[in-house]
Amino acid sequence: MNELLNLLKENCPGVDFENSNSLVDDEILESLDIVTIVSAIMDEYNVEISVEDLIPENFNSVSAMYDLITRLKG
Amino acid sequence: MSFTSLSFIIFMAVLVIVYYIIPKKLQWILLLIASCSFYIYGGGKTILYLLFVAGTTYCAGLILSKLNEDKKANIKKRKLVVLLLCLINFGLLYIVKYLSFTAEVINSIAKTSLNVPNLLMPVGISFFMFQSVGYVIDCYRGKYKAERNFAKYLLFVSFFPQIIQGPIGRFNLLAPQLLGEHKLDYDNIKYGIQLALWGYFKKLVIAERVASMVSTVYNNYYSYSGSVLAVATIGYSIQLYCDFSGGIDITRGVAQILSINMSENFKRPIFANTLTEYWRRWHITLGSWMRDYVFYPMALSSPMRKVGSFARNHFGGVMGKIFATSVVTFTIYFIIGIWHGANFRYIAYGFYNGILITSGLLLEPIFVKLREKVNIDFKGKLWRVFQVIRTCFIVFIGRYITRAPRLLAAFYMIKTTFLNFNYADIFNGTLLNLSMSFFDYMVVIIGMIIVIAVEAYQEMGGKARKALEKKPAIIQFCVLMFALITIVGLGAMGSNYVEAEFIYAQF
Repeated sequence: MNELLNLLKENCPGVDFENSNSLVDDEILESLDIVTIVSAIMDEYNVEISVEDLIPENFNSVSAMYDLITRLKG
Repeated sequence: MSFTSLSFIIFMAVLVIVYYIIPKKLQWILLLIASCSFYIYGGGKTILYLLFVAGTTYCAGLILSKLNEDKKANIKKRKLVVLLLCLINFGLLYIVKYLSFTAEVINSIAKTSLNVPNLLMPVGISFFMFQSVGYVIDCYRGKYKAERNFAKYLLFVSFFPQIIQGPIGRFNLLAPQLLGEHKLDYDNIKYGIQLALWGYFKKLVIAERVASMVSTVYNNYYSYSGSVLAVATIGYSIQLYCDFSGGIDITRGVAQILSINMSENFKRPIFANTLTEYWRRWHITLGSWMRDYVFYPMALSSPMRKVGSFARNHFGGVMGKIFATSVVTFTIYFIIGIWHGANFRYIAYGFYNGILITSGLLLEPIFVKLREKVNIDFKGKLWRVFQVIRTCFIVFIGRYITRAPRLLAAFYMIKTTFLNFNYADIFNGTLLNLSMSFFDYMVVIIGMIIVIAVEAYQEMGGKARKALEKKPAIIQFCVLMFALITIVGLGAMGSNYVEAEFIYAQF
């Protein structure tokens, strides 16, 4: 999880990932950030994130993103 | 049938009475009959286009749902269905909207004389087509099962309040409401009427009043100094906002009277800090359509990911990280530009927005460094005000491009505004010879102050209609009467009244 958090901070430096569970719903992350994050995750974790996975629930928090990666790896 | 016509008010009054009297299971059938009648009344035979789009997308949805059930079905087959559907529908859109423009361009470049018959442009084709194609892509993604009843699906495509200028609805949000059973609800009627009145106020009192001045100046732009051109362009910015957002308020208000909640299409764009944020607040349903059905698929496509990898390896840093996304972002704004119409002005408008937003993304690291060196409170109110003014200015320049009769005229007008401003024209009476009296200017200015004040209140989290509800009944009644009298007394009505069309209806 910490590794993912560092990756997210590196790609979206201005975002407070630790203290929000509604990153997309509260418009903290916008579509551009999501695509940047998705590209970084795909490169780093070697998983295939499809357009169907791009729903707010999968990106609202670090743990949601972690769950998505775990699910895709499994 | 225009929303601003008396026949529409009568149509609505009859519809609402019948809607709440008949058995609830028949309500959706009544809405379908009303929607088709509304379209035929305004567009006649062009309903055939609507039926074609509804028919092809309905079939594609069924095929995709069938393929989704079959686990062995090849993904290539599903992709082929979506591809064919998009080719057929966007091909049709191209023919009715862009073919004559293409012929003009070819004729002027190759000195040929290609002749394209002028086809009747179906009202709202861009809106109902995008909505229907979105439905098919959602079926492809397995987001929901396709609707099996064509009549029910046709209602989703043709629902009359949204058919002229959106908002572009999503099937999973809109269809259950359209097909559901609704009982008469006092709050829905009350809120719906209030919202529609607010829309009529913006459209008839402000937008229509300023429209004649804008036309007068833009039709003879070479006769005026920069200051008059600037006033006319501010007028056009006001006209466009009040016309489009007012029309959407009427749409949403009318739908709410029928107990149907439609998506918001505006979120006070005048308070946007950046151009990107402006586009997130303006025509929201088109932006989210572009995001979900073009931006995401394009950004995550194999070729774009290769571009991304190449950029990360060769450029490094922030540039490497966001290069591919910037290319896609530029493409999206370009598409949004030409979505508005077949004209070099809209192509230029797409470039204008795309270049500004993409440059902002790519230059962000430089801005960050600059911000560190300058002693300014970037979280303070002053900076926020500066950002809002800066965004308004960028949008204001863009308005020259979309409203000018030709692209070169837009460049001329922008140049004149900056190089030959001649501010004396603002005070020497020139403005009173532009089809607007002093009284008209006052009405528009006071009207805009009211609009901005209400939006500022909403921006701070206030809910105008809820706040009004807490006031004593007599005050609520007075406000309603005042709104009605204002719209009837100051709106573009009367014996010489011509039904006001909406600017976005032509897109």
